[in-house]
Amino acid sequence: MSETATPAKTDQKRAINRLKSMYPLRNIVQQDYIDTLKASSEGKPTVWSMLNYWEGDLPLKAMGLNIVYPENYATLLAASGAAEPFLDASDSDGFPTHMCGYGRSTIGYSYRMMKEHGGKIPPDAPLGGMAKPALLLGSGIICDARFKWFQSLARYFDAPEWCLEMPMMATYEGSEPELEDYQVKFLVKELKDFISFLEKLFKQKMDWAKLEELIDLAVKIHETTSNISEARKAIPGPMHATDFWSSMPPSLFFAGDMKVALKCYQDMLAEVQERVKNKESGINYPERYRLIFAELPPWHSLKFFDKLAEMGWNFVFESFGYHNPKPPDLSKYSDPCEKLARLSRNFMFNVFPEAKAEGIQNPIVETYLKIARGFKADGFFMHPLISCRAASCSLRTVQHWEQEKLDIPSLWVEGDIIDKRVFNPQEVLARAEAFEQTMDHYRKVRKSKGLDW
Amino acid sequence: MENATPALFFAGIDIGSTMSKAVVVDAQGTMRGYVVGPTGAEHRRRANKVMEDVLRTAGITLDQVAYIISTGYGRVNVPFADKQVTELTCHAKGVASLFPEVRTAIDIGGQDAKVLKIKNGRLTDFLTNDKCAAGTGRFLEVAAETLGLGLNEMGRISLQSDTPVKINSLCTIFAQQEIISRLSEGQPLTDILAGVYIAVTTRVVKLARQIKVEPPVVFTGGVAKNSGMVKAMEVVLGIPVLIPQEPLITGALGAAILARDEAFKLVQDGHYKSEKKQLSEAYIEFTEKNERKM
Amino acid sequence: MVTATTKGLSRAHEIYANRGRRMRELRKSGKKIIGYICLYPPVEIITAMGMVPFRIFGDMSEPITAADRVSTTVVCPFLRSIIDLGIKGKFDFLDGAVGAHTCDIGMTTIIAWRDYIKDAPFTHLIDVPHTDHAPAVDYFEGQINFFKKHIEELAGEKLDQDKLKQACQLHNKQRKLVRELYDLRKSDPPKLTSMENLEVMVSLFSLPVEEGNELLEEVIKDVKERSIKSSQKKARLMVWGPVFDNTSLYELIESSGADVVVDDTCVGTRAFWADVKAPYDLHALAQRYLVDIKCPRTYRDTQHQETERDYDKDLDSRFSYIKKAVTDWHVNGVILQSVKYCDTHGYEVPNLRHYLDTLGIPSIYIEHDYSERSLAPIKTRVEAFVETLG
Repeated sequence: MSETATPAKTDQKRAINRLKSMYPLRNIVQQDYIDTLKASSEGKPTVWSMLNYWEGDLPLKAMGLNIVYPENYATLLAASGAAEPFLDASDSDGFPTHMCGYGRSTIGYSYRMMKEHGGKIPPDAPLGGMAKPALLLGSGIICDARFKWFQSLARYFDAPEWCLEMPMMATYEGSEPELEDYQVKFLVKELKDFISFLEKLFKQKMDWAKLEELIDLAVKIHETTSNISEARKAIPGPMHATDFWSSMPPSLFFAGDMKVALKCYQDMLAEVQERVKNKESGINYPERYRLIFAELPPWHSLKFFDKLAEMGWNFVFESFGYHNPKPPDLSKYSDPCEKLARLSRNFMFNVFPEAKAEGIQNPIVETYLKIARGFKADGFFMHPLISCRAASCSLRTVQHWEQEKLDIPSLWVEGDIIDKRVFNPQEVLARAEAFEQTMDHYRKVRKSKGLDW
Repeated sequence: MENATPALFFAGIDIGSTMSKAVVVDAQGTMRGYVVGPTGAEHRRRANKVMEDVLRTAGITLDQVAYIISTGYGRVNVPFADKQVTELTCHAKGVASLFPEVRTAIDIGGQDAKVLKIKNGRLTDFLTNDKCAAGTGRFLEVAAETLGLGLNEMGRISLQSDTPVKINSLCTIFAQQEIISRLSEGQPLTDILAGVYIAVTTRVVKLARQIKVEPPVVFTGGVAKNSGMVKAMEVVLGIPVLIPQEPLITGALGAAILARDEAFKLVQDGHYKSEKKQLSEAYIEFTEKNERKM
Repeated sequence: MVTATTKGLSRAHEIYANRGRRMRELRKSGKKIIGYICLYPPVEIITAMGMVPFRIFGDMSEPITAADRVSTTVVCPFLRSIIDLGIKGKFDFLDGAVGAHTCDIGMTTIIAWRDYIKDAPFTHLIDVPHTDHAPAVDYFEGQINFFKKHIEELAGEKLDQDKLKQACQLHNKQRKLVRELYDLRKSDPPKLTSMENLEVMVSLFSLPVEEGNELLEEVIKDVKERSIKSSQKKARLMVWGPVFDNTSLYELIESSGADVVVDDTCVGTRAFWADVKAPYDLHALAQRYLVDIKCPRTYRDTQHQETERDYDKDLDSRFSYIKKAVTDWHVNGVILQSVKYCDTHGYEVPNLRHYLDTLGIPSIYIEHDYSERSLAPIKTRVEAFVETLG
């Protein structure tokens, strides 16, 4: 998929009405890859990092370190159809095949780099590949694979590894009154240890002023992106999910220059608000159905959404795991580590009080209930993945509660994030037609129960 | 000594899920007869029949057989076997007896595939695929059915192509759809068939790479008789493969040789009484000839 | 081949076949039964509160029919089995269920329990940090404290520190006795089979701690006095992996011509190897459970804060306890087993096999889906593995 840097003209034949402001944001992450490769070729050490919900991103950036995100790189592999040789390499080194597609890609990449190409980047790696890591930063948030697979990379690299911690629990235990302070205390201690480790490893001191500045920028970026999310609730939905997925890295892991990213997101907010004013839709076909996509997209087959858009399916919101919540007020805290801990922790815990009030045990379920209500969804497109348990296991219970509380039906479509051989688009389109009737039916049911959509 | 008719033989019976095979060897390990036939549903009766057939082929009677080993999926259904040994060990033994330098053996059966690592004639490591039809003979059968061709025909036609079509589906059923799609797109049959063989081979070689493919590589199983399959194997592996004259019987052959070894071990350990005089004599003759202990 | 069954082993066999029986009796007499999943909920606290801990397992012989509307199929089949049994009402003798954030699916199991399982009205989820860093141990101590407070509400009284100390000592005694029992498997042949051993282990998880200790003392005495014929088996194996709670798997291995003489599983050594240390307070519990239990779900920073990393040193640091077991029990082969979809153990496999390679110990990896049906194809592989060792 080679898409150019300049925005294309709005072409009536194109199913998805792409935001102009999406392209510069997408460029940021692509440019980031090129920049980090250049920096590493100039001798700057590279950090391989997992998505860590800002806990690790900001300290690394404050120290001016070169960072690469293998999870994001794996999506590039999938999108450019280049993943297979890396997946095969991982299998051939004895790793079970049911494991995370991102993990298998990275393990395969590392294997090929070190065992087949003597430490050089494999020639078929898109966008120039990833430089050899000097540090592996794992994260315990969201799923186990994200620290276990880095642990396995010791097979290929001598880089030290650090695992960032983040508490995870059910809404009952997570709403204990003393919980926040006690968790924050834990995270602050961990962060301080982590930062002193970074100082030792890279032989430079943390620039605390810079860290404060970046935290401020982070808050501003997150305020802007949550305002964009708010604006997307309009009918018709002004921004399609594919635009979000293309533009999320600068807010998800602060890819690139954060000042530039902030400006780009402000532009995006303006463009979305303009569309809302003009009732302009994110698809170039009349919006017949408003869909929510859960959870991780089929990176290898994004063109598939065009077909659905032609049927009038507007994916108005998506993937809770990629969205930041409205940032908390950090102004009353002076220790940057504490600010960071609270910012990061807020990702999951922001929804706990509401979940507890509704009697919902799983915070992911509550997040999706809020989304469904806010966006007046007609249906959920559930995409469980053969290799991702964390993003798939809750989908059944989300499906159950959406049906139970809001009479919203779900279409269940299995696939994988990287391995396109397990996704069957033809079959899905056939089922989609039938699902429209289901969505029509439940619209009537909701109306009869007094809901307004 | 060479002219004397040996009175002592050893047999191996391999009851596979689709085919049953039996082999008789003499004390020197030389094959004296073999049979191959479909297994059918009744394993117990099959074992008897296959034993009778191989005795007849070898021109001997049951009381001339000193030891019998059964192997294969149905090995527990051979009541007259002296011992049961897995087909993994037996295949390794059989292949090593034909190709003493072998390091890797790849066997593709009707319903499964095995990769064996062998060193100094002994099995050291192995992997099997018995879950998924995509890397087995079954995939080829389905393709043949889909295209209305015979299996051998399919092989011959595929040889005409050097530009195989890529068949992506992991699943045999989806692959069927893919084959039909490629045909309707106008892709040449020769290329599609070449692609089918490459697809099966790629699955199996993926399995093999997990325990490292080291040459010399021996290829066995019913599909090893198919020229299209052999070509695909050599293309995917990037090295030539060795194929026994009768690639279906390596399991039974290995079982028969192991039977010989087991019997001799019993003699050596002093377990046999004097009635087994013939066996003792055969053992002595064998050890003298080979100047080595069992 | 061990043939003579003793009184203690017979009792273990009965308890294994009907795990809930003793619990139902105790419940009738007024005791509260608290089920727990996995090794991280501290049983000492449950015992100290006068309640009875009961380890919740799945059932390999029960096909999963009810769990599909709760969870997708691509998750740990052991945990799916637990949810399935729960929905079917098989845990109706429990007053409570305690889980821990041991792994992704382990965490969602208690969450799902609350939504879909009617039994065991008291539920609690203990968060377990991923690393064993010092701040993590403190955090985990706080989590244990929350659990303590919650169970105090259920009991209507506070946890007495003396009672906690006593409970720690009782559970430590059980661990010591288990280690004594395992010592009896060092001989050639071992004095009890791995099936018999498993039945005893599972019985321990189905009895109050004092009764479990009595059973162990009886079993040890009987087994010591047994006379065993030489088995002529050519392989002494170790089994590694997650929950292995059914004798059918051990039977399959032992009938393939091998003795299983030791294990690294959570129904075996992982549960009983480490003791709680003095002063037997919450911090000591946090230390024992988070740091001393060797399970792949915990990220062991073997070179924590080091700027250098050495793969072989890392592996030795993570797995040297396995080397010790292999040496002490004279093991000549290791079977790594895991359930399909287990990430925590799946990522370990190539690394552990590499480590065993460097020790010159052959190994094989088998994967099953925690159902009796999935065993048949494994048998041939296990047999072939044993044949390579012979």
